[in-house]
Amino acid sequence: MPRPENNPGAMAIDHDVELARAGANVTGWASGLLFQVRRHPLGAFGAVIVVVFVLAAAFAPWIAPLDPLATNPRASLAPPGSEYFLGADFMGRDMYSRIIYGARISLAVGLASTFLGCLFGIALGLMSGFLLGWVDLAIQRIIDIMQALPLLVMALVMAASLGPSLENTIIAISIPVIPHVARVIRSNTLALREMPFVEAARAQGMSEVRIAVRHVMPNTIAPVIVLATAQLGSAILTEASLSFLGLGVPEPHPSWGRMLSESAAEYVRTAPWLVIFPGLAISLAVFGTNLLGDALRDILDPRERS
Amino acid sequence: MRIRLRALAAVGAMLPLIMGADAALAQKSGGILKVYHRDNPPSASIHEEATNSTVMPFMNVYNNLVIFDQTVARQSMDTIIPDLGESWSWNDDKTELTFKLREGVTWHDGEPFTAEDVKCTWDLILGKKEGARLRKNPRRIWYHNLEEVTTNGDHEATFVLKRPQPSFIALLASGYSPVYPCHVSPADMRTKPVGTGPFKFVEFKQNEYIKLEKNEDYWDEGKPYLDGIEFTIISSRSTRVLGFINGEFDLTYSTDITIPLLKDVNNQAPDAVCSLVPTNVSRNLIVNSDAPPFDDPNIRKAMMLTIDRQAFIDILSEGKSDIGGVMLPPPEGLWGMPPEMLETVPGYGKDIEKNREEGRKLMEEAGYGPDKRLPVKVSTRNIEIYRDPAVILIDHLKHIYIDGELEVVETPLWHAKVARKDYMVGMNLTGVGVDDPDVVFYENFACDSERNYTGYCNKELEELFDKQSAETDMEARKKLVWEIDKKLQEDGARPIIWHERAATCHQPWVKDYTVAENSSYNGFRWEHVWLDK
Amino acid sequence: MVSYIIRRFLLMALTLFGMSVLIFVLLRLVPGNIVDLLFDSAGFVNPADKALLEEELGLDRPIIVQYFDWITGLMQGDLGYSYVSEQPVWTEIAPRIPITAKLAVLALVFSIIFGVPLGVISAVRQNTMTDYILRVVSLSGLSLPSFWLGLIILMLFVQWFGYMPIYDRAPESFWIELGMYMIPAAAVGFRSSALVMRLTRSSMLEVMRQDYIRTARSKGASERSVNYHHALRNALLPVVTIIGIEAAFLIGGLIVTETVFNIPGVARFLVEAIRWRDYPIVQNLVMLIAVVVVFTNFIVDLLYAALDPRIKYSE
Repeated sequence: MPRPENNPGAMAIDHDVELARAGANVTGWASGLLFQVRRHPLGAFGAVIVVVFVLAAAFAPWIAPLDPLATNPRASLAPPGSEYFLGADFMGRDMYSRIIYGARISLAVGLASTFLGCLFGIALGLMSGFLLGWVDLAIQRIIDIMQALPLLVMALVMAASLGPSLENTIIAISIPVIPHVARVIRSNTLALREMPFVEAARAQGMSEVRIAVRHVMPNTIAPVIVLATAQLGSAILTEASLSFLGLGVPEPHPSWGRMLSESAAEYVRTAPWLVIFPGLAISLAVFGTNLLGDALRDILDPRERS
Repeated sequence: MRIRLRALAAVGAMLPLIMGADAALAQKSGGILKVYHRDNPPSASIHEEATNSTVMPFMNVYNNLVIFDQTVARQSMDTIIPDLGESWSWNDDKTELTFKLREGVTWHDGEPFTAEDVKCTWDLILGKKEGARLRKNPRRIWYHNLEEVTTNGDHEATFVLKRPQPSFIALLASGYSPVYPCHVSPADMRTKPVGTGPFKFVEFKQNEYIKLEKNEDYWDEGKPYLDGIEFTIISSRSTRVLGFINGEFDLTYSTDITIPLLKDVNNQAPDAVCSLVPTNVSRNLIVNSDAPPFDDPNIRKAMMLTIDRQAFIDILSEGKSDIGGVMLPPPEGLWGMPPEMLETVPGYGKDIEKNREEGRKLMEEAGYGPDKRLPVKVSTRNIEIYRDPAVILIDHLKHIYIDGELEVVETPLWHAKVARKDYMVGMNLTGVGVDDPDVVFYENFACDSERNYTGYCNKELEELFDKQSAETDMEARKKLVWEIDKKLQEDGARPIIWHERAATCHQPWVKDYTVAENSSYNGFRWEHVWLDK
Repeated sequence: MVSYIIRRFLLMALTLFGMSVLIFVLLRLVPGNIVDLLFDSAGFVNPADKALLEEELGLDRPIIVQYFDWITGLMQGDLGYSYVSEQPVWTEIAPRIPITAKLAVLALVFSIIFGVPLGVISAVRQNTMTDYILRVVSLSGLSLPSFWLGLIILMLFVQWFGYMPIYDRAPESFWIELGMYMIPAAAVGFRSSALVMRLTRSSMLEVMRQDYIRTARSKGASERSVNYHHALRNALLPVVTIIGIEAAFLIGGLIVTETVFNIPGVARFLVEAIRWRDYPIVQNLVMLIAVVVVFTNFIVDLLYAALDPRIKYSE
């Protein structure tokens, strides 16, 4: 993925026009969707994966056959089979149910941290790109500082300083997202503020804040969606890494990363299902969001289009 | 359930045979013993730490005055042998223990060892040494009965006790009781320990390795056999066990092989010699009886009744650990209550459903029921050996209308939180240094002990502690100990759930290595261990 | 040019200063400190002993004084002492740096060897089956958690070769060392190579749409020559620069991989030090990483500017 800051203004093209051109004779959202599915079969596949995970998370209590927290002495390390579809962990907890409930944790952390990160990123980016002057300068420096550490290192330091809990993990992961979003929004804003329609609004005497919110922000939605989808996958991976290192979502939440950490790793050979299935769940979920993200970028960002 | 590992039983049966064979086989000198370590020891100073992470690698650097015979698995008063103290004697009223010290012994830095070093060591623990102090002093309580240490010349030291205490010498035989040099500061002992032991400290690289080399000037002529010992620190359990299976290590960390892992080791490395022993570490509950809801003795009792101890053991160690009171259960444990007596303690009865029925009745009397459930926070540390049983406990609490919520506490906050009494019920772990009531009772249940986390204080019972401690008739003492143990369980002072068993494994070429079976803190002196390669 | 470099230097200093404040404050926000942990290994907390120990370590002083102490020490090259090992921080960190650096370089080599050629093939054969397969593979590379990949690799190695590629002792020769790092580097490099491949592909595609490529094609240059001589050369510029940036970011990926393979590098050390609340180690290590990241960014920007005449030295 090229770092967005290396091509400022690239995403500033009016996507509506481009979209219309791409699907020139498309009418109605259903056929529009069909059109995109045909154009981006991989993206559609990704979307299906994501939808499956979202449904699993939403309807976990109805889908999961067992209580993900209930222990059973007789089922300790039960292999995958008819009773335990994906086997049981050493406390006799059903892996299938835990993975389904785990989708809740992963998606909750992924979506919430991406949302938080985007929210603050958009606010900072808009302020920076629209107000310019010392505000821009100050925000740029803050962003510099936030980007002076690799993502996982930043999340690690944050998670450690906040302490382990679901909420804190979300905050820790959202923080490295902020500068990415802020940079993109800033460069978009810089390009947009010179656009004729902004000039027009300004000529009508609209206040700067109003212009930013009413005219500039809606036009940055496309790049934000592209960026957010990419961040979603990375957030899920970060959560898994943090939980694996013991600094993420604590027990008893059935987090996929936590399932893979210490205790499961003990059974790498005697009960490989404890390692394989949660890892597959993480990979598949991230894979799905990545496929979807790629397709969305193709659709929303015309520069990538062939 | 006391299923012993078949291999161990077989070794036991063949013991005379093997010993005969070994006698004919001369010990070979040389080679480096490669051991894996489970984590980074907090420091090298045994007197400042209360973890076998420190004891296991560094016990070889030091000598004690006396030591449990390292070739006997079941340590007791009868297996204590001389170390730096060549011989010892009690005075008539059993309050003075005098050691005649080995002569011509030198510290690893060349200084001579004298009685002054013995005095210095215990003055340090008692907080009496001028100009030096231990920054942490976890075993102060062990020596609550020690008045002072006096010397007579360079080679005689006397421990003066406040009252008779036959078990005192057992404390000195522990891995926790090395003699420190007077001329080295406690700070240096943490990073560059100096001892008189069979191996010299070479290097401790944080999170990587600890290296010890043979002490060529060791007082026990001809020993040690090994050229050195290398501990490699590997924090991931699967990684280190794989390393052992692949023969990269000669010896596992002490009782690091849990029962599920043991099957794996037996399958993958059938030649490895594994001893499945009690660790003398108990998993227990700390209950805050000063605050709701557990200030109500009936709710405390209901909780005791809903616990299915066997289920914990079945899940976490495939049925192969032991149920007992605070003292390690027999046969390995010397002081544990006999099973008949244990079953009379509330909650220890075999019929769990009946117990739970009774528990529900108690809860109903307290105003709870299926529609009015009691929310409770179960606190524990963010370490799997704490977390896992806490998860099971929450499951068991469901049966008596209690909804448990797990509260995971980071290690640095745990003791402070417990000291503040900021918890309802906590899952806890208690390791026992020496299988002796004087250690267990005072350390964990005496009113003024710093390691008595719950602040349990029962003056009447404390008098009984003293009474058993001074008792010289061992059978009479045993009866007293059982009585105390039962009372502690009935009071719910620190309800014991189970005593963990785990295995230590070594490769077949490691010879004369004995795994202690009633404590995980005293069996790591290896001057007699050799490699047959 | 000179004024641009000076400006960038000042900004870098500002960033690092901000990072030092941030990390210092963050660490002190963490509930519980080293003294609590030290007492944990003794199994109790004695308030009087704890206060004495806090005084000894200087933790009882105002946070500004502590910060000032650290920074003045840092300026003079004195990083302080580790709370845990009581050794100078530099003696603890220094031997671990080359290990992580070697791993990172090796992983980078992997990512280039696989990433660039595959990216080119994918771009040249755009929208063919090959392209689809390569894109899916590269996406899966971005989707697999590297610690999981590490665990699976360990598992397979033991199953197939009865050997476990973990770090268990210091390597005796360069080749043994290389062999030892090869597998963990591949586990990390897989992700980076996926990244490089995607980047190469999109960069190639962009260049192939440019006018001068069309011109070359219209002048009758062979397809192969157009693809490999004209397009590739120009497409590599952004790729090379981003690879530079990625090098610094590999430290993140190495944290979990060093843990799985038990490699005593700085990345794993950071996790251990965070766990131990070993402030002197954590704050200096974080600063070290920040310096590496910021400087790499700076050098990459300079290179980019030097190589691409379109970039002007102003914002």
